[in-house]
Amino acid sequence: MSNQAYLELQNIHQMFGSHQALKDVSLNIQEGEFVCFLGPSGCGKTSLLRIIAGLDTPSSGELFQAGQNITQTPIKHRDFGIVFQSYALFPNLSVADNIAYGLVSKQFSQRDKQARVSELLATVGLSGSETKYPAQLSGGQQQRVALARALATSPGLLLLDEPLSALDARVRAHLRQEIKQLQEKLGVTTIMVTHDQEEALTMADKIVVMNQGVIEQIGTPQEVYTHPNTPFVAEFVGEMNFIEAKNSGDGLMQSGTLMLQCEPSSESMFGENVKLAIRPEDIRFNGHEDDKNSLNAQVLHLEFLGSRVRSLLQIDDHETPLIADISMNEMSGLNLAQGQSVRCQLPADRLHIFGGHA
Amino acid sequence: MNQSSLATVDQPKIKTSQGKGSKWLSHRSLDEWSLGAVLMIGVLALFICVVLPIYTLLSKSIENKAGEFVGLANFSHFFATPSLYNAINNSLLIAFLSTFIVTTLSFLTAYGISRTRIPFKGLFRTILVLPILAPSLLPAISLVYLFGNQGIIKELLMGESIYGPIGIVIGSCFWTFPHALMIMLTALANTDARLYESAEVLGASPIRTFFTVTFPAAKYGIISVAFVVFTLVITDFGVPKVIGGQFNVLATDIYKQVIGQQNFEMGATVSVILLLPAILTFITDRWLQRRQSALLTSKAVPWVAPKRLWLDRTFFALMVLVSVVIVGIILMAVYASLVTFWPYNLSLSFNNYNFDLMDGGGWDSYWNSIQMATFTALIGTGFIFFQSYLVAKLKGFQLLKWCFHLFAILPLAVPGLVLGLAYIFFFNAPNNPLNGIYGTMTILVVCTISHFYTVCHLTATTALKQIDAEFESVSASLKVPQIKTFWRVTLPVCMPAVLDIASYLFVNAMTTVSAVVFLYSYHTSLASVAVLNMDDAGDIAPAAAMAVMIMLTCMVARLVHWLLGNVLLKHTQSWRQK
Repeated sequence: MSNQAYLELQNIHQMFGSHQALKDVSLNIQEGEFVCFLGPSGCGKTSLLRIIAGLDTPSSGELFQAGQNITQTPIKHRDFGIVFQSYALFPNLSVADNIAYGLVSKQFSQRDKQARVSELLATVGLSGSETKYPAQLSGGQQQRVALARALATSPGLLLLDEPLSALDARVRAHLRQEIKQLQEKLGVTTIMVTHDQEEALTMADKIVVMNQGVIEQIGTPQEVYTHPNTPFVAEFVGEMNFIEAKNSGDGLMQSGTLMLQCEPSSESMFGENVKLAIRPEDIRFNGHEDDKNSLNAQVLHLEFLGSRVRSLLQIDDHETPLIADISMNEMSGLNLAQGQSVRCQLPADRLHIFGGHA
Repeated sequence: MNQSSLATVDQPKIKTSQGKGSKWLSHRSLDEWSLGAVLMIGVLALFICVVLPIYTLLSKSIENKAGEFVGLANFSHFFATPSLYNAINNSLLIAFLSTFIVTTLSFLTAYGISRTRIPFKGLFRTILVLPILAPSLLPAISLVYLFGNQGIIKELLMGESIYGPIGIVIGSCFWTFPHALMIMLTALANTDARLYESAEVLGASPIRTFFTVTFPAAKYGIISVAFVVFTLVITDFGVPKVIGGQFNVLATDIYKQVIGQQNFEMGATVSVILLLPAILTFITDRWLQRRQSALLTSKAVPWVAPKRLWLDRTFFALMVLVSVVIVGIILMAVYASLVTFWPYNLSLSFNNYNFDLMDGGGWDSYWNSIQMATFTALIGTGFIFFQSYLVAKLKGFQLLKWCFHLFAILPLAVPGLVLGLAYIFFFNAPNNPLNGIYGTMTILVVCTISHFYTVCHLTATTALKQIDAEFESVSASLKVPQIKTFWRVTLPVCMPAVLDIASYLFVNAMTTVSAVVFLYSYHTSLASVAVLNMDDAGDIAPAAAMAVMIMLTCMVARLVHWLLGNVLLKHTQSWRQK
């Protein structure tokens, strides 16, 4: 059973009227994994989560959890805990009653219940808040209570629907870590829906990037960031400069009068028209004139971003300017100024190639 | 190992290919099915209590006495009879006049309460909505004592008679005013200070600010008030019955046709004509509500009225004037009920409260009313709230919910008089299996709940929509039955709305005349009907006394509502505090 996925989605389609929210989505999730569904709003990530939870039924396709077909199983008979974006805490029940809400139907004794509630509150770092009401808690605290309530029945699957989006930046960064640590400790298979790439990159074991109802890429955060499969992934996760080019073979790409050398791996599969891409932090400034892909550029604009400086570069003989990020350490050596000419390099091993006119 | 994993993957595929029938059954759990069944019962109940009676009424209007189809013959007969046709003109005149007066007054007083810095706003507000607690017959009776043949200030009319259009307009304005005021207050409550600041910064004069900022925001409220008042007046028959004299209006016509001449077909015909303005109002109101919601943004900053000495003084004077008129009319009725024998023996006594000595059902009718109002409040609130809950929060059952919503909105477009008549046609038919409830307390309760259904349904729906949409999903994921979450969370959270509905139903059941006047029997006479009958028999002082009793009872009910809301709920709803 070791190589059997804990959760298996097979060819899920979802139609809302004439709008196709999900197109042929298939996905395997291993036990204990932390998976993020990442994508812009309307990409179908929430629809997919709702299907996994049983809140919606897919138009077609099947869903297996721990080997059981649960496609048509009512929510009641599924094994999951869920935290909604709004938390959906019961406002008239105390924190303890909220957390114990699911314990009642499972024939827990009063003492067991209390013990479980204190244990869960300790786990989420809110010991002693039993008698408070949700309205008396901060957003971050409410979020933890919602998490504790979802975990109370020890579900095999934890679903998080944009759990951090209602919080301010500092609390969000803090909770991000906490949730991840908690998940590792409990080992519960977790699916989180988010539109925040930073959240996905820092928390997930596996990221599922979605766009317009289809999965664009599945991979670890590193894979998705360093080897994006499609221009969409490249642009949505992190930032990316794009250069339209023609494939001249042998790894040589021509964009206008510019010739760029790429890794000559398998460029033949891309066809004639390609899109080259490079991340702002991958553009180098300390190279020599005779390096590959070394170019002359003019600094159009500089923007101070704290730990780094963002520059807008007009490459000679090339229309669209490129964005390049320079760390403050490097900056102190370069001493760039607006309007200045500079030598920059687009390293061949950092250039991504995408086929077609996508 | 390998085999078993293969098996688990293969099995379901076989299952789906053979078991399509059970597929749609299985994705709902048992308690979802049982709640769906309750919703089904609700749809059926509304179908029987609202849709079928109205359908019967409509079909009666195109039949003759023998029950044969005659097309529009009844209608052409109606328009060919000058006295009947005159009723339309009269009704329109009364309705237009009252609408103009009430809309203007309610806008001004609502402005005074929400947009000026006059003192005693709470007191004024309480006084201005007092008429809602009295049956519409009370102002009419009061007017008889004030301006009637032996009225104490009849000289003010300078020879004009109160029995006729003047009396009907004043009486109608009195009892429709609180309804208008409440809509106006809501319309004027939502202000955005930023708009006023922008207007000021841009150098707009106060008058220009009023016409470019204040008025547009309240526009839909004003239109809504105009339509509501128009419908209330044109369909009311209490006031014209008591003070209308020889002045015929549509509503009294129905009453005369049915009760006086037993001409049910013509009654149905007039009813259908009376349905038209109500339906027009209904459609306009739906349309307005869709537009109104788009006006408000969540970022609005409430506006605080600046000190405007002359404006505040003017409005204070107006509020005092309107309050004096309202209190005066109410006190006149109270005084008249206590005077031993108007106008010859002005000593005070409770003689007029010996209802058992008069025609009209005596004290029994009062206790019947209490019983009817209590049942209406208890059963009505329970049924309405739970059904609204199912419509708002149960998963699936789209078609049932759509039907339910349609049926629940329908009563708003049906005047009480029309509904009462429809009930006679439907429930009194010998071949109706529900014929047994005709003439009992049950039909009064059912009719009253149906009559006031829409407002309650909308109140409940609004309250339910304000609570988190995911409660049911959360409780399902925690394996808690939905009904338990209703009991532990939804109901307690919506308690203020539940109390509002109960109190609304009780007060309306106490004061309503229009629908029940066709449906009461000798054993189930009601207080509000007794007012009408005693007045008809010339016992005007006892009629005033009964009207006062109804008003006092409603005041007590409102007090209980207030106590429950402010004392009991404050205690159990500590979670609302931050």
